[in-house]
Amino acid sequence: MKLHSLFILPFLCVLAACGRSSTAAQGISLSLASFTENYVDVSIHLEGSVGEGYILSATFTPPDGYHLYSKDIPLNGVEGLGRPTLLELTEYSQLHALGMLTESVKTMEPNFEPKELLVYPSGTVTLSLPVELPARDAWLDDTVKITFMACSASTCKPPVTGMIVPIRVPGAGVYK
Amino acid sequence: MNKRLIFVLAGFSLLACNFLFPQKASPTLNPEISSSENEQILELAELTIVRLHRQAGDLQAMLATESKKAAALGQVPVVEFDATWCPPCLAIDSAIESRNELILSAYRGIYIIKLDVDEWGWSNSGVQNFNFDAIPVYFKLDAEGNQTGEVIDGGAWGEDIPENIAPVMDEFFYSGK
Repeated sequence: MKLHSLFILPFLCVLAACGRSSTAAQGISLSLASFTENYVDVSIHLEGSVGEGYILSATFTPPDGYHLYSKDIPLNGVEGLGRPTLLELTEYSQLHALGMLTESVKTMEPNFEPKELLVYPSGTVTLSLPVELPARDAWLDDTVKITFMACSASTCKPPVTGMIVPIRVPGAGVYK
Repeated sequence: MNKRLIFVLAGFSLLACNFLFPQKASPTLNPEISSSENEQILELAELTIVRLHRQAGDLQAMLATESKKAAALGQVPVVEFDATWCPPCLAIDSAIESRNELILSAYRGIYIIKLDVDEWGWSNSGVQNFNFDAIPVYFKLDAEGNQTGEVIDGGAWGEDIPENIAPVMDEFFYSGK
């Protein structure tokens, strides 16, 4: 019995070590929030690892046949038309942006004026923001700001501007 | 000497043209939310467009008044919800402003009562009895300003071009007449 335990114990230790290194290599993939607002499904994720850094992302899925507007158009639209698609950290967020917001699909010119009112193709868009986690060993309450508006070729749903979404994020020490 | 005379004559001609044929300020269908007065935005031979403002009074009373005005003109009263940020709404306004024949033909005999959703809200924020989740949206009214139950929104046509909009709206406006 004792001899048997002697063999099993190192085996379990090796397994545990493998598990830990596997987690570190795979990193994290957390769903921070998920909701539907004005007919658009929105989900907010945090992905990454200690070595590679972390990406905060928001995925927007409008109804079939609807499109969203470029993240790069002004907050008040182009000549007042449209609203940008945005994922922003709030003023007192404990996350720090490490780069620019990027988009999962390319924008295109609309087939109406003004042509500067760039739109994404109909369907899902994901915006991603590289972030630094707060230097803490615990989970923290935080918020992000979401903006979007969905239109089809002939109709628009109500816009959502600067909606504050509560999230809970891990401190950097949680995954060290 | 002759050149100077030509310049002077040309100047006088321009002044005369401006005086004889003054340029009309082009009507704009965009709302002025701060206004406390309702606005008559456009009145063509057979199409009237007005915009109602919240500060001007009770909506149902104003709809009744406007519907009576429409009846006096022999026009069909229709409420349209729109917004300044809505490209499809602007597409229709632009077609009317540019006197697109297809659109004007479809809108002939119609009395449009515009309500901006940023001023009046959406159906879930207090616009009495109007149920909608997208704009532009049109509600037919009777002569007393009550909804007839006939409603149509931009989803009824495909791409926002007069060729698509006109036949659909023509059928909507004149169905049941």
